Amino acid sequence: MPAAVPHGFYTDTTVCIGCKACEVACKQWNQLPASKGGAPQLSGQSYDNTLRLSGTDWRHVKFIEDFKTEDRSGGRWMMMSDVCKHCVKAGCLEVCPTGAIIRTEFDTVVIQSDVCNGCRACIAACPFGVIDINPANSVAMKCTLCYDRMKLDMTPACAQACPTASIQYGPIDELRDRAQKRVATLQAQGETRAQLYGADTSILGGLNSFYLLVDKPEVYGLPANPELPSRNLAASNAFSAIGAAVMGVIGLVSFRKRRMDRFAQQGNNE
Amino acid sequence: MSYQRMWKTPKSGGRSASDESAESYYGVPPIHKPHWKWLIIAYFYLGGISGLSYVIAELAEVTGDATNRVITRAGRYVSLGTLLPCPVLLILDLGRPERFLNMLRIVKLRSPMSVGTWVLVIFSGFCTRSVVAQAARDELWNRFKCAPHGIKAIQSRWMGVAGVPFGFLLGGYTGVLLAATAVPLWTKNALLMGPLFLASAASNATASITLVLCLSKAPHRALVRLERLEMCSLVVELGLLALNRRQLGQTIGRPLREGSTGRLYRFGVQGTGIAAPLMLTVAPMLAGMRPSRWRLALSSLLTLSGGFMFRYVMVIAGHRSADDPQATFELARRGSQESTGSVTDVNVHPVAPS
Repeated sequence: MPAAVPHGFYTDTTVCIGCKACEVACKQWNQLPASKGGAPQLSGQSYDNTLRLSGTDWRHVKFIEDFKTEDRSGGRWMMMSDVCKHCVKAGCLEVCPTGAIIRTEFDTVVIQSDVCNGCRACIAACPFGVIDINPANSVAMKCTLCYDRMKLDMTPACAQACPTASIQYGPIDELRDRAQKRVATLQAQGETRAQLYGADTSILGGLNSFYLLVDKPEVYGLPANPELPSRNLAASNAFSAIGAAVMGVIGLVSFRKRRMDRFAQQGNNE
Repeated sequence: MSYQRMWKTPKSGGRSASDESAESYYGVPPIHKPHWKWLIIAYFYLGGISGLSYVIAELAEVTGDATNRVITRAGRYVSLGTLLPCPVLLILDLGRPERFLNMLRIVKLRSPMSVGTWVLVIFSGFCTRSVVAQAARDELWNRFKCAPHGIKAIQSRWMGVAGVPFGFLLGGYTGVLLAATAVPLWTKNALLMGPLFLASAASNATASITLVLCLSKAPHRALVRLERLEMCSLVVELGLLALNRRQLGQTIGRPLREGSTGRLYRFGVQGTGIAAPLMLTVAPMLAGMRPSRWRLALSSLLTLSGGFMFRYVMVIAGHRSADDPQATFELARRGSQESTGSVTDVNVHPVAPS
């Protein structure tokens, strides 16, 4: 049993080669079914035939072809292995009405699939589009950061399988230090666009699965600065309460006898 | 098999995959839509009518005279009638309906769905009490020869009033629930969603009570009282809708302007559901006449259909905005001062056709 300190992933996209070993390892360890019964499916979008995270794909390698300039001189390939961000302020965890989504002793976010009843509140709440229904058991599923392996002090399957150490696993403080050193190295080598996504507390209190990117987050399909879906809950409730009070008053006024009856009386006299 | 793009409208159609990859990751939506469909739309509709019918019935009871008693009677039965399908709809919508009781494991104030579940449970109790009391007043129990024991104990009008907050909650929490998501169209105007759903529920509840009274030959005085209430809530609803659409902005509000949801919003929700009933009842009033019974019935029917279309449009337009990467990105740029400057030069605007 490892120390119960926050653990997570640090995904260095600069060394990802797009081999998809993480996708395969994840599917194998978590016994996730193939989509469409395993029939080959080609998306037509670069080498990416998974396209997005879902209830059966908990790791997903994105292939970004950056050939925007006319002469293609600045052209480059960017690969990124996407996964649940295990947010410190997790929207899914907040809205779950059954308490199926829990925070573990490693500060990760896990859905207990035997408690979830498939209400789909978390699907709408996730600002990264991570959670979806697994058609095999009709409950919401996502990356557990291999909670079962973590408890035995084993590395999660995807990080174990990654041949280039693009996916790194460990205590989050250690990973952040490592990532910051890597950014400094890249900057020194001239890659000025190198930046960390979610390594500090600015995005949802910090992402326990954070990324080293070499372009703006939106290029990778990541929202620039997502916010907690329930951030407006108190104000929203207050506005509704005011609305209800106003309606109650209108109701009482219209059920008052005098004016309305005179009006109706007028009608009856015609 | 390529990703099936749901976002297709006459104005934005015909864009190639490379156009889309320039603005987002191959046009793949960055968030998942929640797949809530007909069952949930129907629940939003019936739950709203049930909650606000109860409120109207009990308010009429408190202000009580003989005319209001007619409204109370109809409102209480309408409330129970529309409440009964609600739990069934909600349970059927679950991925695992047999686990519906898991909703009652915990009370979680931060989760609108948890709050809603408990509101539904508590409201059911109040609604049942009202109907039992009403049945006693209508002497229905005598007819069935099964007068419940202790019926006197629950006949206080203040017990009905105690349930009014739960009636309002049932009508309005659905808007708050949609607002507490990552779906751009729902969460952009989080503050307006609750009042909007409340106003719509109020007009629908009034309309259904009016309809029942029209068909049961109730005194005209009761109808006039309800009519004024319905007009008030329709006007409030119209104002909130306009404000909502204005605040949504270009990108996020697109599903309410373009495509099938845009048409349904304009002609269905605003035209058929609000403008037409208002015209039907305001026109004779301006001419100094009382609106006829059939006119009121028709305007109530139109209001009811508009209420259903409103919920349909809000849910489906939400799905469309979730499928639009630019809407999600714009939502996430909001309030991020340090990153706003750096991301605006991503190709946000569609590539101009050459």
